[in-house]
Amino acid sequence: MIIAEQKPLDEILEMISGVERLLVLGCRGCVAVCSAGGDKEVGALASALRLGRKKAGKPIEIDEDTYVRQCDPEYLEPLEEDGKRYDAVLSMACGVGVNFIADRCPGINVLPALNTTFYGANLSSGEWAEMCAGCGACVLHLTGGLCPVARCAKSLSNGPCGGSVGGRCEINKDVPCIWHQICEKLTSRKQHQLLREIVPIRDWRPSGHGGPRRRIREDLLP
Amino acid sequence: MSRLKNNSCQVGKIVVFCCNYTTSVSTDTLREAGLIPENLDVKKLPCTGRIEVSALLDAFEQGAEAVFVAGCRSDECHNLSGSRRAEKRVGYTKRLLEELDIDPDRVEMFFVHRGETQPIVDAVREMTTRIAKLGQLHSI
Repeated sequence: MIIAEQKPLDEILEMISGVERLLVLGCRGCVAVCSAGGDKEVGALASALRLGRKKAGKPIEIDEDTYVRQCDPEYLEPLEEDGKRYDAVLSMACGVGVNFIADRCPGINVLPALNTTFYGANLSSGEWAEMCAGCGACVLHLTGGLCPVARCAKSLSNGPCGGSVGGRCEINKDVPCIWHQICEKLTSRKQHQLLREIVPIRDWRPSGHGGPRRRIREDLLP
Repeated sequence: MSRLKNNSCQVGKIVVFCCNYTTSVSTDTLREAGLIPENLDVKKLPCTGRIEVSALLDAFEQGAEAVFVAGCRSDECHNLSGSRRAEKRVGYTKRLLEELDIDPDRVEMFFVHRGETQPIVDAVREMTTRIAKLGQLHSI
């Protein structure tokens, strides 16, 4: 899922400094699951902003709502009209939601409450880790299912660098060297011949370096 | 058990969230006995693990000068980890208050023996002292 985290409150308060009527809008998609922008977080942020503005002597009127998803047009539809009642809509969705509101509801001043950080998995309650870089050219069949693009600090394609010591990455001893893990896994599964395959220099265009990406499935088009 | 001084009501509103087990005695009885001040707003939850960050912040927004949670001691929690969860939410709220330039000492977690009154009275006293030291949050 997409992982995000709330921006510092002073940054958000600065963003809404001239706003008198605000809608804090959550999303029940990925950001709800990673506890960044669901119903509970909407309530906490709205309370914090009200308190912050009250303390500054500039009370603010804040409404709270949470949509099923902010990245699908059918759920955004009501916002086109409802959003006009507010000076700004503070979206607690990932950057996709904020962009989609900006595209679909041009009359609305949409602001981001979150920093969208990575595609990750939930390791335990309250802990998430990056697992995928959305590079558009998956090589997991060659690497035992472990991604060297997302999980190697240098995104190396052909084995570890010289900084891998005792299975740990040189950037931080708490970070495992993913290439060490890939080698161990492929060896244990007797697939180590995959390591002899030289992966050519990566074409980064599918990862977004060729401009914004779009996927079309003809059979689903209206 | 010593009675609170009458001037405690001038200090400002204190909100306490506690569970059914941490205050088995009626708060009205404690108030009538002069053990807790008039300005103490007691909100009971089935378990303090139910407390949300927004509820703690809302209490400040509604005019509280200090807010605290009185949960069971960690080895006595009826729901095993409820008060530990509450402690973490109080910790998160402290961080948010700091970000808002509000002293985080205005919110606190207390672990108290189930069914005993004195620890609650002590906690109220502690928060009353803090408010007096920190000064008024609200002209709010």
